[in-house]
Amino acid sequence: MTNITDLMTHDHRECDELFARVEGLAGKKKWDEARTTMRALRAAIEAHFDAEEQTLFPRFEAATGMTGGPTQVMRGEHVEMRNGLAAMEQALADEDRDEFAGEAETLLILMQQHNMKEENILYPMCDSHLAGEVGTLTTALAERIKGVTA
Amino acid sequence: MIPDGRALSYEAAPAYATPLRFFVTAPLFGVAAGVLLMLAPELLASRWTRGALAITHLIAVGFMLMVMVGALFQILPVVAGAVIPGGSLLVAGVHILLTLGAASLAWGLWAMSPVALSLAAWLLGAGFALFLAAAAAGLWRAPVSQATPRDLRIALIGFGIAISLGLTLAMVLTQGLALPLLTLLKLHIGWAWVGGSLVLLAATSWIVVPMFQITPPYPDALTRYWAIAIVGVLLVWSGSVYAGSTIAEVLLVTVLAALTLVYAAATLQVQRRSRRSSPDATARTFQFGMLCLIAGTACTLAAYYSDAALWPILAGILVLYGGFVSVIEGMLYKIVPFLAWLHLTQDGIKAPNMRKLQPDTPVRAQLVAHVVALLALVAAAASGNAWVTQLTGLLVAIQFGWLLVNVVRVVRAYRAARSA
Repeated sequence: MTNITDLMTHDHRECDELFARVEGLAGKKKWDEARTTMRALRAAIEAHFDAEEQTLFPRFEAATGMTGGPTQVMRGEHVEMRNGLAAMEQALADEDRDEFAGEAETLLILMQQHNMKEENILYPMCDSHLAGEVGTLTTALAERIKGVTA
Repeated sequence: MIPDGRALSYEAAPAYATPLRFFVTAPLFGVAAGVLLMLAPELLASRWTRGALAITHLIAVGFMLMVMVGALFQILPVVAGAVIPGGSLLVAGVHILLTLGAASLAWGLWAMSPVALSLAAWLLGAGFALFLAAAAAGLWRAPVSQATPRDLRIALIGFGIAISLGLTLAMVLTQGLALPLLTLLKLHIGWAWVGGSLVLLAATSWIVVPMFQITPPYPDALTRYWAIAIVGVLLVWSGSVYAGSTIAEVLLVTVLAALTLVYAAATLQVQRRSRRSSPDATARTFQFGMLCLIAGTACTLAAYYSDAALWPILAGILVLYGGFVSVIEGMLYKIVPFLAWLHLTQDGIKAPNMRKLQPDTPVRAQLVAHVVALLALVAAAASGNAWVTQLTGLLVAIQFGWLLVNVVRVVRAYRAARSA
């Protein structure tokens, strides 16, 4: 049976894949394809955030009573990543390759250090504190993220 | 144990100045290494010259250890959820002790000054002990242990052993402590090189390469067993060195070399499968560093089978300067602008993106200078020509100076954004 860490980590890698594809297309100035793939990236990341903010984090907070803790920090970083995605979309709309490269570079590192914290610390905490409901939770989370990145 | 929000939040991460003070100091030791080559070109004649010992430590302690400690202050809270106690006072103390210690160590080895060497032993011993104690206090309380923090812990222990052996060597040289010098020296090099630096490099690679170059993960067996295996072999090797069993020693060095090659080859293999369409400067320096590590390891083996003085010198140049320094420079170019961006964003300031904080062109130019300096070092060591060596010293000083300029450029852009 898959746990929360494996499921969500796998989805991070799917988003990385899309990110790399957009970056490659923008580097080659294939603007139309880049914009299309960017929409897929945005949708995948939003679905992931949504699964966390609407399903996973509330369950974690209810189980541990920690509302101002790690989940709050992760929510804050989601806001910054949404800003980063918007800046990339703007650069694609302007067909500005250098601007896009700079914004993409920034988002990549922001995203990876965020993922590292979730994968090494938060998800394992979820798996241990929500041990009794991992099965139903992973089904619900998979429901929210599937289809978008498939 | 559940960490509170602090463990994951940026507040747990230190101020921008914390890692930066180490990152700005480190290239100065590199510049000093270049200047030393210009002043004493004969130092490349043998690994045993006073100059060779001094320049090795300018790079290994003044540059590498300095950056490592600065980076660990930054990443331990993020990667391992370890909150390092002591605040900015501890950071300042560690930084000053390491800086003065590295300087007096290089001077002490160059001048063979017992006073400077004793001073270096005290300063470096105190600085590193202070850092290790704080890091250990943070790490051992860290909430979840994963493969990487484990290898990180191994590397910290490796450095601890290497530095203790270095302190003992200083006592032998200055206080006439009656211990076998050559045995201690071999053990010191083995633990600093493999137990500390190489294990730390691998522990860092397990995370950094897949994440930032978007590659598949390293093979599971490697991240799980490699560090344990290499430190296990290193322990047995240490026993053979201590017992003076030459055959066993050569055999075990060959195993250590094989394990090094496995790591370097795996890294190149994983990098080849990167999803990013064009490798950035950091990815390229990583590849270059791995190739140098492979070449340097081959020279290390050659040194065991041949008496020529050139092999150990080439091994040192390729592994230290070509391997470790390359990778460190490449990573600084990621860490420094990102931290600037992060701190600005956290303080609610509209931050310029990373390429604006750190333009790509000077970075690439500096890295080309680094590669040219490495080739010049190899040519200087092989030719033994004083002019070539002095020119090489100039190139080494220029490339480290250039690195400093590029790092300071980011700090200035950071300050400009703050005051705008």
